[in-house]
Order: sequence, then C-alpha cells, then structure tokens
Amino acid sequence: MNDMRMTERARLMQDIKISARDVNVYYGATRAINDVSIDIRDKTVTAFIGPSGCGKSTFLRCFNRMNDTIESARVTGTIELDGRDIHAPDLDPVQLRARVGMVFQKPNPFPKSIYDNVAYGPKIHGLAASKADLDDIVERALRRAALWDESKDRLTASGTSLSGGQQQRLCIARAIATEPEVLLMDEPASALDPIATAQIEELIDELKENYCVVIVTHSMQQAARVSQRTAFFHLGDLVEYGDTGQIFTNPKNERTESYITGRIG
Amino acid sequence: MSDTPHTAPRGRIDWADPALSERLRLRKRRQFWLKALGLGAVGVAALMLFVLIASLVVTGYQAFRQTHATIEVNIDPFQVDPANIRGGNFDDIIETAILAYFPDVEAPGEQREIVRILSDGAEFQLRDRVLDNPELIGERVSITVPLSDPYDLLNKGLIDRTTPEENRRLKDDQIARFDTLAEAGIISQPLNTALITNADSRFPELAGLKGALVGSFYALATCFLLAFPVGIGAAIYLEEFAPKNRLSDLIEININNLAAVPSVVFGLLALAVFIGWFGLPRSAPFVGGMTLALMTLPTIIIATRAALKAVPGSIREAALGVGASRQQVVFQHVLPLAMPGILTGTIIGLAQALGETAPLLLIGMNAFITSAPETPFDSATALPTQIFIWADSPERGFVSRTSAAILVLLTFLVTMNALAIFLRSRFERRW
Repeated sequence: MNDMRMTERARLMQDIKISARDVNVYYGATRAINDVSIDIRDKTVTAFIGPSGCGKSTFLRCFNRMNDTIESARVTGTIELDGRDIHAPDLDPVQLRARVGMVFQKPNPFPKSIYDNVAYGPKIHGLAASKADLDDIVERALRRAALWDESKDRLTASGTSLSGGQQQRLCIARAIATEPEVLLMDEPASALDPIATAQIEELIDELKENYCVVIVTHSMQQAARVSQRTAFFHLGDLVEYGDTGQIFTNPKNERTESYITGRIG
Repeated sequence: MSDTPHTAPRGRIDWADPALSERLRLRKRRQFWLKALGLGAVGVAALMLFVLIASLVVTGYQAFRQTHATIEVNIDPFQVDPANIRGGNFDDIIETAILAYFPDVEAPGEQREIVRILSDGAEFQLRDRVLDNPELIGERVSITVPLSDPYDLLNKGLIDRTTPEENRRLKDDQIARFDTLAEAGIISQPLNTALITNADSRFPELAGLKGALVGSFYALATCFLLAFPVGIGAAIYLEEFAPKNRLSDLIEININNLAAVPSVVFGLLALAVFIGWFGLPRSAPFVGGMTLALMTLPTIIIATRAALKAVPGSIREAALGVGASRQQVVFQHVLPLAMPGILTGTIIGLAQALGETAPLLLIGMNAFITSAPETPFDSATALPTQIFIWADSPERGFVSRTSAAILVLLTFLVTMNALAIFLRSRFERRW
C-alpha cells in the first residue's frame, strides 16, 4: 500500500505540465497576484477556488497569455509549459493559445455555423490537410464535447441558436479542436442551469483522460466533484494547494478553513 | 428615543393620507404634461415636414410636365445638305412649319413673334433627329417640340389672362396666337423627360438635371472610394491597435472636432490645396468628391469606431482564445459583425455629402455648363448647386424647376436613408 503510494507519487511528480514560479500580475499600479508558485499536473483536473476578486481568473489567464491582450496588465515571474518558458521570445502567443485552449465563463460561440465554430481553430493554424480531414476534426471535437448527437444534423445552423449548455459544449469543442495539451476553464458552468452544469462536469471528468484541465470555479461543491487537486486563492495569494480531498476535509491553513466553512468569501 | 433600537419599524404608513394622495395626483399630472409636450413637439416637427414637402410639391409638380407643340416639318434637301447635316437651315424649316398655321401673317416682326412661341431648342431637336436618321431628308415628318417658357406658363395657367395687359408677360395678341395653335390641336403637355435627360440651359423649357445628376454621382463615387477605405482603416487602427495614450486621445478629440467644422471651411481648404497648390481643375466632380470626402471622413470614422466598439468583447476573447492573431480577430470576426453599423454610418455620411452645397460652390461647381460631364474631371454641377443656380435665375420657369430639383434631391436622400435603415435592420445582430 505504502509502496504503491510512493510509485504513484513519483509518477505524478514527473507529470508536471505547467510550472509557475514567483508570478506577479499587475493591473497598472495594482498588484492582483502576489508571488504565486504552483505546479500543475498533467491529466488531472486542478480547481482554483477562492472568493470573488481573489485573482484566480487572472492567474488562469496567465497560462495562455490572455493577459497580454489587456493593455494595463503586466506579468512577471516565469511560467513553464513542459519545461519551456511561455514568455520566451521565440514562442508566439498565437501558437501557445492553440496548445493551451480556453473556455470562458459566458458561452461565446462565434455567430457562425456550428461547423465553422469548431473548424475555425484548425483552419487558422492549418491543421487540416483536406476538407475530409477537417470534417473528421470537427466530428471528433464535437463527439468529445458530447455535442455530436445533438448537432450532427444541423452543423450549418448558427452556433448562437443552441441552448446555453449546448453553446458551452460547443465552446469546449472549439477549444479542443486544435488538440491542445492544456484546457483552461474560467467558471465554465456559472451561467448554466443545474442540468447543463452536470453535463459539463461529466464532460470535464472525461476530458482529464487526455488533457491537463485547470478550472476556476465559484462553487466549492463543483471543485469537490470534478477536481483532483485544488488551489485556494485569497487576495492575490495562493494560500493552499493540495489534493482536493485534503483541502476540503483537512485544510492546513486557517484562511482555507474559514473559506471552506463559509466564514470568508 | 434612546430606548427604541434603530432597527425597529417606524410604524405602519397610512397610504390613504390625503397628503400622499395629493402627491400622487401631482405626479400623475406632471407625467401627463410631459407626454402632452412630447406629443406637441412631434406634432410641430411633422407639421413642418408636411409644409415643406407640400410647398415643394405645389410649386414643383408643374415642372414635371412641359407644354409641347406637334408640327409637321418638310425637311427640304435644299435646306439640309446630306453631306453637311450640321450646317442645315433647320431654323428656316421650323419657321416655315409654324408659320403655316398663320397663313395671313406677312409682317416680318409678327412672324418673328410667332416663331418665338417655340423654344429655341426646337431646331436642335430637329437637327439631332435628322443626324440620327439621315434618310429623313426630303421627307415630311411630324415633330413634337417644347414651347418657350412664357407660353408654357400660359398653358399651365401660371399667367393669368385676367391680369391687365400692361402688367401681363404676354400681350393679348400673343395669347391670341397661342390660342390659334391650341385650336389647331397641336398643343400637348407630356411628361417633361427633359428634366432628367437634358443638362442645364438658359431656357427653362430645355433645362434639365442630367449634368447635375452625373456630376453628383461622380462626386459621391469619388467621395465613397476615398472616404470609405481611409475612414475604416483609420477607425480600425484607432480602435483596435493604437495604444491608449495622449497622442491617440489628441487624435480622437481632433476627429470629433473635425466632424463639427462647417462645410464651407472644407470648401476653402479644397480651393487652396486641391486647386491652388495641386492645380486640379475647377468645377470638376472629382475635386468635389475629394472635398466631400474630407467632410465625410470624420463621420465614417466615428460611426465605424462606434460599430467596432459595439462588438462584444467575448467574441474577441473567443477568437484570441483559439489562437487567432489580432489581425485575424479584426478581419474575421469583429469587422464582419460591425459591417452593418459601418455601412449605415457611411450611407448617412454620403447622404449628407450629397446635400452639401457650400464647399462645392467654393470649388466652382456652380458653373453654367450645358452638357453632362463625360469623366469626373470635366466641369459639372451637382444637384444642390444646380438648385442654387436655378433658384438664382430670373426666368419664371425656373421657379417650379427649382422645386422639382429639390424633390429629386430629397428622393435620393430618402432612398439612401431608407437603404441605411434596411441594412441596419436586416443585418443587425443582437447578443
């Protein structure tokens, strides 16, 4: 038993996908993230929890350099994806974002057809060799996002004509169509009803077989349900990071415990 | 006081209290007056519009018909040499034909008076017809030619026969001669196609808007081709790429101010720069279009920026999130979604340019030009400047033609605005 745990741990130690060291994010003069260091494991769902405004979304957006698009934002420290610095001058953020997919809080399909929504990423990165190849990519992505059965007969219908939950699954399909290694999800279910939320959570559970999933969530129940690792953020600090079970049942930090039990937040 | 805690309710409110119901009544009355004033304002605006259109129609409708006379002419080969048709004596042919209705008149002065019933354009109309069909030489043909302005007015009832003779434009004997022709049944009043197919003329019965329409078309086309790409380019750069700093703020303020600069100033600028420095031709629709483009540019930039801003950030994030470059985000997502708004703004800007007069006056587009421009570099007028010229002309026939030209201009403006509204409602997206 003990031996198994040791080997398990060794395997996990090797499977670090993202490694952040001393990351600070500033919005103008305001410091939103304070010296955060974290190692995120591959093929695992990692949840970022914390009260509103604690910086968890900001930190998530560092991983695909989405903060670059905000003019006043400035990121310091190093973030490595598979041991390579994502801020290296020879690494283009455009390619990084194909490797690190993102799903946003509000479902935001393009006002184009379902097919075009999914095909867009592969098209701009030139991933499909032919039309048949592209069809295959689209079908795979929609199947993995559990949307194929509902959409296969109306791939030309507008993505915005779908229901909220379907739209969010379409966004997931769009994000995984470029075969990313990491999938970032910024409160992906917060705008959805409970049934759609359950579908998305189920999907996240399946996605971890192939991807490193990082999910920001407001809902502690959701974090407990879908994640294996949980990081608790408060006021821009990474307060505690560990196995989800341990964080929720036996938090080491006082602030974590206060948040889990509902005293802060 | 100190023993009652501040969280306790203050007691039940008596909603039947007359002071409260009086207050409610006052509020209702104010609302009534606000609605009444609003309705009144709309009414005044609608009335003004009605008066404007009605007065234009009342004075202008006469210009859409023109009195004509149908006469039989004998195209004598002795008068018209088939080898030199342009040199033919068409005025003599017309004269002979019209004098045939007055066999008793011998005096040359009176004969001249009779010929003047027909427009000076009659002989040219005949000439053009023979030029097109030289086989008509030697034939007897019937031709419908316009009457000159005073007789046209008489036929339309705009010259009152009961006015004392000394105050009347046409004397009794002139009216009598017209009546002779009317009794002969050769007078008709068909649709005035010359209003659209002819260019300007000294004679109201021959004057038309073709030169102005073609001039306005060339000017607007030039304006669109210059202002649309430049305006969209500037707006995209300012909205999507420019860093937000003092310089871009300054540029933004200047563009907004430029939109408020009186158009006559743009005219002076064009006169000094385009014509003065670059030596471009005066009165040319191309130069007019460049001037109008200066004016339209701020409108297009402002409309485009507003349309780009209205595209939700979530679409940009979605595109960036799958790895689109900034350029791809703009051209594949933001611009197509903003297009209806951009087009609406552009059409409204162009409609404004179509009605603009002052800058065109300054670059000489109010010249008297009797042929439509062949190219954008030929001298021409534009619709608003043509209206200006006609409104300034002393001949009475131009009064109704001015109103008719205004109606034509308004028709174009309404059509353009309707197109803008159509595009907006047809392609507008809601999120």
